[in-house]
Amino acid sequence: MDTWRIIPFEQYDPFENIAIDEAIFRAGREREMPPTLRFYGWKRPAVSLGYFQDAEKEINCGYCRDRGIDIVRRPTGGRAVLHGDDLTYSLVAGEDNPHFSSDIVETYRIISGCIIRGLEKSGVVAKMVKEGRPGSGSAGAFCFAAAYKNELLANGKKICGSAQVRAKGMFLQHGSLLMDFDPVAVCAAITTKNAAMEVEKIKASVTSIRENAGDDIGIDTLCRNIAAGFEEVLNIRLIEGGVSPEEETIRDSLLESKYLSDRWNMKGRGTKSGH
Amino acid sequence: MSFPKDLLYSRDHTWAGIDGDIATVGITDYAQDKLDEILSIELFPVDSPIEQGEPFGIIESLKVTTELISPVSGYIISVNEDLADDVGILNSDPYDTGWMITVEVRDLEEMDHLLDAEAYADYIDEVEVTDSEEVDPLLDEEEDVDYMDESEEVS
Repeated sequence: MDTWRIIPFEQYDPFENIAIDEAIFRAGREREMPPTLRFYGWKRPAVSLGYFQDAEKEINCGYCRDRGIDIVRRPTGGRAVLHGDDLTYSLVAGEDNPHFSSDIVETYRIISGCIIRGLEKSGVVAKMVKEGRPGSGSAGAFCFAAAYKNELLANGKKICGSAQVRAKGMFLQHGSLLMDFDPVAVCAAITTKNAAMEVEKIKASVTSIRENAGDDIGIDTLCRNIAAGFEEVLNIRLIEGGVSPEEETIRDSLLESKYLSDRWNMKGRGTKSGH
Repeated sequence: MSFPKDLLYSRDHTWAGIDGDIATVGITDYAQDKLDEILSIELFPVDSPIEQGEPFGIIESLKVTTELISPVSGYIISVNEDLADDVGILNSDPYDTGWMITVEVRDLEEMDHLLDAEAYADYIDEVEVTDSEEVDPLLDEEEDVDYMDESEEVS
């Protein structure tokens, strides 16, 4: 039975959260590491942006600034997520790991299968999207407004948004499960047009853990169940560990060079093309 | 899926068309198919030094961002500016109008590390077989579901 590392749930500063994910991803690229599953929360509310998103055009930066909502750009693609009342997971593994696939969609499917098992243990019946399609309009910048193939729905509404980056034979997938969902806050932070008009539409397409499993479920229980989902579905054993000294060094360097910089978080390096 | 015979291919699914010491570089038909709908691209600027096996840009498709790995070493001498207007040509025409960069190649002997069309096609077959063997059969039990009705679309 393969053993993986699990880094237990902890809340961090928004910039540190993404820096840790990228540090684990980068360290794994340099030398062979067992896959790592990590759970984390957010000490302060934050909007995380997809790698190529245009902050000024796609989210309400003024609203975020006024309310102390940090903006952090992810190394992964996809769309914006308002973090705060969510459980975020990340998984780093080699593309050639026998449990996964070099096929991107297939990797989503395998990870989604593990999360479905964990949600089931938590009283949430989730299913994979067979044929997804993107959201549109102002709310289209919001990750949960669209559901792609092999992402997860509960009662026909999106319950988990995920994104993936691949480089040098490794992948990092991270995703967000909303414990509670506040469509008004999401629309205010992420839409740039008439937010009020978007609230009802978002409410119809997004759901939360507590809406499905009841108010009593806590993050610790959910983490335990999802970890068990990975162990059962993939027949692996998760061994608790922390961020290694090497990963801490990379994290600190990434914080300094990228994640604490407005230039990276607001402008990125990418230019949106085409669509 | 097509792999033109006049190009050389890397195991990172990029191609190089060699003319003297100039290489034109792009992604293969296999790569664009696996990536699915390509949304955005960022390429290193003209004059950047690049190395074989190292990145020369990053690409985003519907649900993944991934590095573009160069099949050659040298200096970028031009970048396909048309991609900024219509990145969709990477899906529709990856070998012609979907070229990405041209490179002044530093060491033509490096081409020995690349594959011809036939060898690349064999490599793809190997990758596909490995993938189909690796997928956990437990997951075949999972039930798929169609996304919400058209009437519920966020717009």
